[in-house]
Amino acid sequence: MATVAAPTKMRISPLGRVEGDLDLHIEVRDGVVTDAWTEASMFRGFEIILKGKDPQAGLIVTPRICGICGGSHLYKACYALDTAWRTHVPQNATLIRNIAQACETLQSIPRWFYALFAIDLTNKNYAKTKEYDEVVKRFSPFVGTGYEKGVTLSGKPVEVYAIFGGQWPHSSFMIPGGVMCAPNLADVTRSIAILDYWKREWLEKAWLGCSIDRWMENKTWDDIWAWAEENESQHNSDCGLFLRFSKAIGLDTFGYGCGTFLATGTYFQPELYERPTIDGRNAALINRAGVYDGERFHDFDHLNVRESTAHSFYQGDTYLHPWEGRTDPIDPAEGHKQGKYSWAKSPRYEVPGKGPMPFEAGPLARQVNAGRQGAAKHQDQDPLFLDAVKKVGPSVLVRVMARMHEACKYYKLAQKWLSELQLHDNFYTKPVEHLSGKGFGSTEAARGSLSDWIVIENGRIENYQVVTPTAWNIGPRDAHNVHGPMEQSFIGSPIHDPTDPVEMGHVARSYDSCLVCTVHAYDGKTGKELARFRIGEMG
Amino acid sequence: MATLLWLQGGACSGNTMSFLNAEEPSACDLVTDFGIDVLWHPSLGVELGDQVKFLLADIVSGKRPLDIFVFEGTVIRAPHGTGRYNMFADRPMKDWVAELSGVANAVVALGDCACWGGIPATAPNPSDSVGLQYLKKNRGGYLGSNFKSKWGLPVINIPGCPCHPDWVTQILVAIASGRANDIALDELQRPQTFFKTFTQTGCTRVQFYEYKQHTHEFGQGTRTGCLFYEFGCRGPMTHSPCNRILWNRQSSKTRAGMPCTGCTEPEFPFHDLMPGTVFKTQKIAGVIPKDHQTGTGTLSYMAHAVAARIAAPQWTKEDMFVV
Repeated sequence: MATVAAPTKMRISPLGRVEGDLDLHIEVRDGVVTDAWTEASMFRGFEIILKGKDPQAGLIVTPRICGICGGSHLYKACYALDTAWRTHVPQNATLIRNIAQACETLQSIPRWFYALFAIDLTNKNYAKTKEYDEVVKRFSPFVGTGYEKGVTLSGKPVEVYAIFGGQWPHSSFMIPGGVMCAPNLADVTRSIAILDYWKREWLEKAWLGCSIDRWMENKTWDDIWAWAEENESQHNSDCGLFLRFSKAIGLDTFGYGCGTFLATGTYFQPELYERPTIDGRNAALINRAGVYDGERFHDFDHLNVRESTAHSFYQGDTYLHPWEGRTDPIDPAEGHKQGKYSWAKSPRYEVPGKGPMPFEAGPLARQVNAGRQGAAKHQDQDPLFLDAVKKVGPSVLVRVMARMHEACKYYKLAQKWLSELQLHDNFYTKPVEHLSGKGFGSTEAARGSLSDWIVIENGRIENYQVVTPTAWNIGPRDAHNVHGPMEQSFIGSPIHDPTDPVEMGHVARSYDSCLVCTVHAYDGKTGKELARFRIGEMG
Repeated sequence: MATLLWLQGGACSGNTMSFLNAEEPSACDLVTDFGIDVLWHPSLGVELGDQVKFLLADIVSGKRPLDIFVFEGTVIRAPHGTGRYNMFADRPMKDWVAELSGVANAVVALGDCACWGGIPATAPNPSDSVGLQYLKKNRGGYLGSNFKSKWGLPVINIPGCPCHPDWVTQILVAIASGRANDIALDELQRPQTFFKTFTQTGCTRVQFYEYKQHTHEFGQGTRTGCLFYEFGCRGPMTHSPCNRILWNRQSSKTRAGMPCTGCTEPEFPFHDLMPGTVFKTQKIAGVIPKDHQTGTGTLSYMAHAVAARIAAPQWTKEDMFVV
């Protein structure tokens, strides 16, 4: 009997490793994904809870949207109020907010890499590669040498967060007008020492095998490969091993995505943002905001952000700026009948002259925008990942490396800010709690741009809309049927072993979407679902 | 050796993130040194797809024994009791929770959401969220008042938003080492070993509290005074060991100058976050705190306050935590 390439029968459910739930339907032909639908499958309704509440309720509620980047939620919720109430923020408070935001991200980098991303590298599908045994030794969950060190030491940067904020996750110590804490000398010196320990033990000894200054000399994608061969120490570091192994298993060859990158930026230059305003935001940022449409850069303007509900489980087909945004959920069973398939809305950015486009958010998006010319003296300018994207495109590997690259940069910034704290100056200026106002606050969570839009009327929240990096990345098709960035990333990606489609895991986790990801696969030729998770079969 | 399955419902993963901050034992130690066999965890499991499918099927059928079922997040029941707002593997998560709770030797609710609904269950509770055995203060919850796990225990509530990693790891070690029956629970099914004391127990501001000296302002004022009188701190009324077992080995919210929000109690977030209630002490006649230390009344509070203010030494009016 002739062997016919049978349609791949598969369905991964669940794909796991981050928070929330995502179902991914994919269409597969001849071992390649030809279409994809990302479906966020959990809804709690935080924007509805916030309506009518105390204007400061977002400081308590929004960190609980995501415990992985709760500090980032607090940071932007606070700036939304700062802009709405027109507060004064002392320079010390800006420094502490910056330090806290950076420490959350420094925590996330090794924790995400080892616990969420790299354990897939130990997949048996890769057993034939020559680096495999070493990869298993380093990256196996719980017992891998790199895993254990990386995950355990990932708790260190958030010790610094706790020194200023009391605890991580879920403090609410940033408030309009500043921060609640007033650190003393030992708080600062201990923070310096903790970060230094983390840098030495994990970042330099385990991850890089060299000093952070040596790593920062890398300015092009080629530099990185030369770095990996420069000496034994770098070659055999976790980073060196990861680079070599990625090449061997092709992580540089798929997961491209939409090729457009948006960053709302984060960290403020203290003396430039004592009076936080929406208009003054871009100029005061240290990590710049920006929009790269695949050809050219544009300044970020929050007024160009829209959210589409065309394929989301909300009433109607709306396309609104978040200040006007609505969150009116419908039963998914009803939604499916209307062609809707996700709880995520589809954020789009109106690019001048081009109209609405989807954008990838995250470390790579930040680093691409960091490559734009014209940074002010206080701002980050870094050509490395713009070079990578132009040379080799935004693959799984490039996305991961952008994330890891940031560890060195944010470490240096955090230490600099610690050195600039003036312990005898103020950390807070009591604001006037205006009864009405509109605010916009935004930051870069570890995994991408995270923003709040608040409307306050009569001393209560009239409207509150949050646009998360996950929504930017995993949002469904918009009204024009344009795929979301992660949907685009799956398309064209290979699936070598239909019984263990680990490639889908790599793509999903390269974005660090905060969703548990489940994959439903369909036969691309017949449109029939290939395998179902049937409860009736159990027991 | 004990098997453990961890799932997340209406969750933010904050308890998982907090858990990963653990040391002595660390999350890795639990596996390598304490023999906890993590069958699956949404953030840490290496299995995917079919492997998880078969695993869950084996657990529900009893083929694979489950010692500890840890649930993080609320049980979502919307819309109209269908649970379709939270699907997991094509099925409402609530249905998984019911089946897995039925076969587990011990069921642990991790964090406020799983204990009593937490923030998602704040009015108007858009997802119709509920805790495993409570909805806010009311016993019952999703599994019902009479629920007992196979070992005859009610749901073990480890609240907090998030809960501290040590509260989790120590209870897991206790269960894994056969000490489940030594875990004395309070009337809200919380382990007494952690939740008998108050958040205020060990707070560095407690001397200011005793002499009724209040913090004047955030930021500058946090080096002196107590946050209870003006900033809504719930430390005297909240049960937790936050100031005995420090957070991230370093500090606590109240030590760092942030008022306790009472997040280990079922009413959190208090007053449903209505206007005027966030970081502001609720008062009677603009003077006397409405809520005060557990076991005291308004009269005893006032009598104590008068005496304390008279007795207050000068140093209680100055910065104690200086540069």
